[in-house]
Amino acid sequence: MTDALNADHITKVFGGLTAVDDVSLHVGEKELVALIGPNGAGKTTFFNCLTGVGPATTGTVKIGGQEVKKNTKAYKVAQMGISRTFQNIRLFSKLSVLENVLIALTNHYKENFLTAVLRLPAYYKTEEAMEERAKELLKDFDLEDVMYFPAGSLPYGTQRRVEIVRALATEPKIICLDEPAAGMNPEETADLTRLIKRLQTEYGIAVLLIEHDMSLVMNLAERIYVLAEGKLLAKGTPSEIQNDEAVINAYLGGGADV
Amino acid sequence: MKKNWKYNLCWLILMVAGFYLINTLMLAGVINTFIENMLVTIGINIILAVGLNLVIGFSGQFSLGHAGFMALGAYATGIMTQTMNTAGGFYLSILVGVVISIVVALLVGIPTLRLHGDYFAIATMGAAEIIRIVINNMKITNGAAGLFNIPQFATWDVVYIFVCLTTIVTVNFIHSRDGRAVISIRENEIAAEAMGVNTTKWKLSAFVLGAATAAIAGSLYASYLQTIVPSTFGIMESINILIFVVLGGLGSITGTFVATTLLGVLDAALQSLGVLRMVFYAVALIIIMIFKPGGLFGKWEFSFKRLLTKKQDGDMKEAGKESK
Amino acid sequence: MQTFFQQLINGLSLGSIYALLALGYMIVYGISKLLNFAHGDVYMLGAYWGYYTINYLHFGFITALITAMIVCGLAGVIIEAVAYRPLRNAPRVAALITAIGVSFFLENGMSYLVTSDTRNFPQVIKQKTFDLGGVMISNIQLIILVTTLILTLGLMYIINYTKTGRAMRSVSTDYDAASLMGININHTVSITFALGSALAGAAGVLIGLYYNSIDPLMGMTPGIKAFVAAVLGGIGSIPGAAVGGFLIGLLETAVQAMGFSAFRDAAVYIVLIVILLVLPGGLFGKKQVEKV
Repeated sequence: MTDALNADHITKVFGGLTAVDDVSLHVGEKELVALIGPNGAGKTTFFNCLTGVGPATTGTVKIGGQEVKKNTKAYKVAQMGISRTFQNIRLFSKLSVLENVLIALTNHYKENFLTAVLRLPAYYKTEEAMEERAKELLKDFDLEDVMYFPAGSLPYGTQRRVEIVRALATEPKIICLDEPAAGMNPEETADLTRLIKRLQTEYGIAVLLIEHDMSLVMNLAERIYVLAEGKLLAKGTPSEIQNDEAVINAYLGGGADV
Repeated sequence: MKKNWKYNLCWLILMVAGFYLINTLMLAGVINTFIENMLVTIGINIILAVGLNLVIGFSGQFSLGHAGFMALGAYATGIMTQTMNTAGGFYLSILVGVVISIVVALLVGIPTLRLHGDYFAIATMGAAEIIRIVINNMKITNGAAGLFNIPQFATWDVVYIFVCLTTIVTVNFIHSRDGRAVISIRENEIAAEAMGVNTTKWKLSAFVLGAATAAIAGSLYASYLQTIVPSTFGIMESINILIFVVLGGLGSITGTFVATTLLGVLDAALQSLGVLRMVFYAVALIIIMIFKPGGLFGKWEFSFKRLLTKKQDGDMKEAGKESK
Repeated sequence: MQTFFQQLINGLSLGSIYALLALGYMIVYGISKLLNFAHGDVYMLGAYWGYYTINYLHFGFITALITAMIVCGLAGVIIEAVAYRPLRNAPRVAALITAIGVSFFLENGMSYLVTSDTRNFPQVIKQKTFDLGGVMISNIQLIILVTTLILTLGLMYIINYTKTGRAMRSVSTDYDAASLMGININHTVSITFALGSALAGAAGVLIGLYYNSIDPLMGMTPGIKAFVAAVLGGIGSIPGAAVGGFLIGLLETAVQAMGFSAFRDAAVYIVLIVILLVLPGGLFGKKQVEKV
């Protein structure tokens, strides 16, 4: 069984500042792992290293056992089977929810310029297949009522959901969620918890989760990594982390948002 | 799949009807040379503006060098048809213009599409100026004096057909998998990459397709007017095309058609005013932009599908291809 | 060597004009993020102001220069208030089109009022040429260089050491944050347009003096080159814009001296594209990276 994600000795340096310092992390197949840490600990920077948005200075990343070579562009990394959501939601806000998902399906359907431009039967066939697949996903996550609405016009919580479904539509091996519960009320957070669980159980996808909301993390994660000041402070099961001296001092103890 | 034929048929009928309407008015003498001239100019501008809308409105890359590609097509036709004075030679020259334009668009686009916003604008503007200056100093193009007595193959009907063809190609491209990838770049480039969309490739495709249609417009321009000079294809021409696009609405082909037609008619109507014409034109431009900053149509598209099904599903299948 | 220094002086004189234009363009661009196509036309207005006041009101050079700066500054404030302010929260491209509209309006309005003929700028200062070991430098060239230097230093002082300058810098960094800090945005933007346009007006009078001919369309190309110069130097850097202006002046003069005057503008654009590709932030600017 290959791991969904292996990150070995990741270091990221900005100018003179080491934002991520020798962090190693792995997420097994269909595993649900959380990465926590105080603000400025380097969590999002680490995500950017994994997804190729801001490649690591040193260290290697493997997605589904396949090594990501140096200078691989973000879209290629995404095609290797890693998908993500963003801390500050990045939907295609003027496009409909359906179109958002259709765009995520881009690489799974072949269409060529000529069939599209000449509207040959092959074009309609692909379009129909894509739409069917997108609608299926949207229905599965109770988004079919809003699928023709511009994504940017939806309530915040729904936008988060759309972003996750869009990430799912790229058929990744692993989804990285960057603070998905930020700004949500308890009810929405509960819905979100169920949704993330489904990614793992129904779709068989590994999840790496950055989150501040402790209840969400403790409920969901099988293992937890704790990052502080760019370094890996601790790792273990939720109960191990809850009882870890260093973690309590650095994070859980002082945090008002526990 | 069957139902789609209905909408496509509607568009076909509209296009044929437009053709016959103009043809009849022409035979009846309602359309005189002046109006024909205006219609052809509008048609050529529509080809240019639709192509530029693809680049700016759909892929979100702010190009200010569209006239450079138009020049390539114009000079390909101007030079070639002087020795190959046949319809075949004319169509071959269009093809050559398109190929040259694609090659130049690749050469310009591959390095500069990395630039963002105004930097890309200024780089494309520079590239177009370089094209113009080179043409201005070559022997085969007859330098600043330009080419004249170019044989006329592009009559109004040829232009009409090309307006329809280039629009169909562009609109069908936009409403395909590839077109959606292009639009996603405009909406959010970082998110598009995270979805596995090869942003460089799709930006470049939109840019190249825009350049190719601009070359076609250039060929038609050269062949219809029979005279071309390099100064026509300067920054002002690129800006004029930009005005059509922004006025109609970035991302609305329907808007491009309406705005280009409106401004074409306005321009012809004010012809007798001389310099004052441009003063009015400028004031109109400022006022329209202040009250309609998203352009006349925003991103709205006319659609037979929506008209016929009356289903409010926001679907944007086939878009504006009304007659000139 | 002699020719080299001669061309250097010619290039610097022309470059001064571009530098003044680029400085004005840059501060306006910095605060409004707008490709202000009308900037070159304000420069044309300055030249015409000089032409009429010197010819008919018998102004001296200094009076003409200062009044031209005031008038052009006012013109800049009016243009901003009428055409750009209503579009501050609109898509940027809409503001760009109004800028083009304003440019058309000024060019054609002037063509209508004063005809599109090229006019000879009055020689308010008698040209004297000094011979520095074979290198000729005229008093007009000296005046241009000195004026540019004084105005550049003045602008740097205003931006770096005055309260207004601090307000300008904060508004160009972040509108919302600046207004939360109690800065009057409209006021600050107006002052910026006034300053930028005043510099353009000064450049207009100087170019009239130097080239001795003016026409209503004279601002088109220099306006665009001013932006090229600002980009070359790096948007956001005052010394950058000045250096960019001088570089373009020198480059044009050098290409011309080598006998390729037809390719003068092409050389400018080639250098621009190369610089943008190698140093995306320009010579003195910082590259903006979008935060994820």
